Amino acid sequence: MSTGKRTSAMGVENTPPVPAAELHHAVTLATPSTHDTMINLRRYTLIRNIVLVWLSLVLLAAFLLNIPKINILEHTARNLYFHVPMWFTMMAAVFVSAYHSFQVLRSGDIVRDIRALQAARVGAFFGVLGLVTGIVWSKFTWYVGTDVWWNFDPRQSMVSLQLLIYGAYFVLRGALDDPNKRARIAAVYNLFAATTTPFLLYVIPRQMDSLHPGAEGNPAFSEITHPIMRLVFYPAIVGFIGMFWVLYTQRVRTALIKHRVTHDPEL
Amino acid sequence: MTASELMQPAELMQEVQDASTAYDSLWAGASIPTQDLSGLEQVMLAHDKLYVVLAVVLIIWIGIVILLLRNDARLASVERIMEEQGTSFDDGL
Repeated sequence: MSTGKRTSAMGVENTPPVPAAELHHAVTLATPSTHDTMINLRRYTLIRNIVLVWLSLVLLAAFLLNIPKINILEHTARNLYFHVPMWFTMMAAVFVSAYHSFQVLRSGDIVRDIRALQAARVGAFFGVLGLVTGIVWSKFTWYVGTDVWWNFDPRQSMVSLQLLIYGAYFVLRGALDDPNKRARIAAVYNLFAATTTPFLLYVIPRQMDSLHPGAEGNPAFSEITHPIMRLVFYPAIVGFIGMFWVLYTQRVRTALIKHRVTHDPEL
Repeated sequence: MTASELMQPAELMQEVQDASTAYDSLWAGASIPTQDLSGLEQVMLAHDKLYVVLAVVLIIWIGIVILLLRNDARLASVERIMEEQGTSFDDGL
């Protein structure tokens, strides 16, 4: 994308070239590539509005669409539209984060580090939401009449471990002061964290007996899931990944400004 | 009651799995000493467990609101720094 288009998208026309003396503070770090320093605001606003309308419609459809009643699950089958997309969203965030970490190692670009961190932050946020919604769902569906909130379901335990691995990523960043060094070391660790994710979220839990479908074959659907639920389920995944993109981009924008005024991109 | 007491032997679980749907394989027919429903459970299970879905949606909504407020706070702190530094918006930012 040309710089001219970017500039007009930011709503700033005819920006005069900034004298080098005024940029004295901006060159202390690896110079960010022009390609990624700015967010295309027009595109961001458009996608944000689409996501908000889209998710509202998903929410409506999730409650209005009739689904067959199944024993034990009853209406909680509708949680398929909310609980499961949290994990799809976290997985998407992990991909985005790992991609940018890989780019940090390739180019040393501090903007890539900002993107990797914020994708991981928002991804972990969706992971926590997935975990908490799962706890509530199981408590009032399968653990009714017991005092059990946490039964060491393999998938629950493994994703908790995965969230701890990402927690260590954030702690590791806090321990490093030099932004360039931090970007590289954190990128290496983040690639490790991304590598463990598919195993802890998908591979290992499917080998064990669990409340989650999967050991029988199909990861998200079982023979008792009615096909009509796909009508809402797939749009819900798209909507929540869109929501991730909006929240992530907001944080990247703030981090870019903070990097510009304080030379420290950590939010 | 502890979680380990609720775990069933593997053979028993297999039997149960054959006799019921996939989702309730851990619990249906297992000899869990079921208590009377607590007040919270009575509320949550009303209307065919619809309130469980409501709770899940509310958790996600509240989570997004909290993240939104935190993002706002971060933005405000950056704005304060800019004001203190006297950074102007003239440089195309």
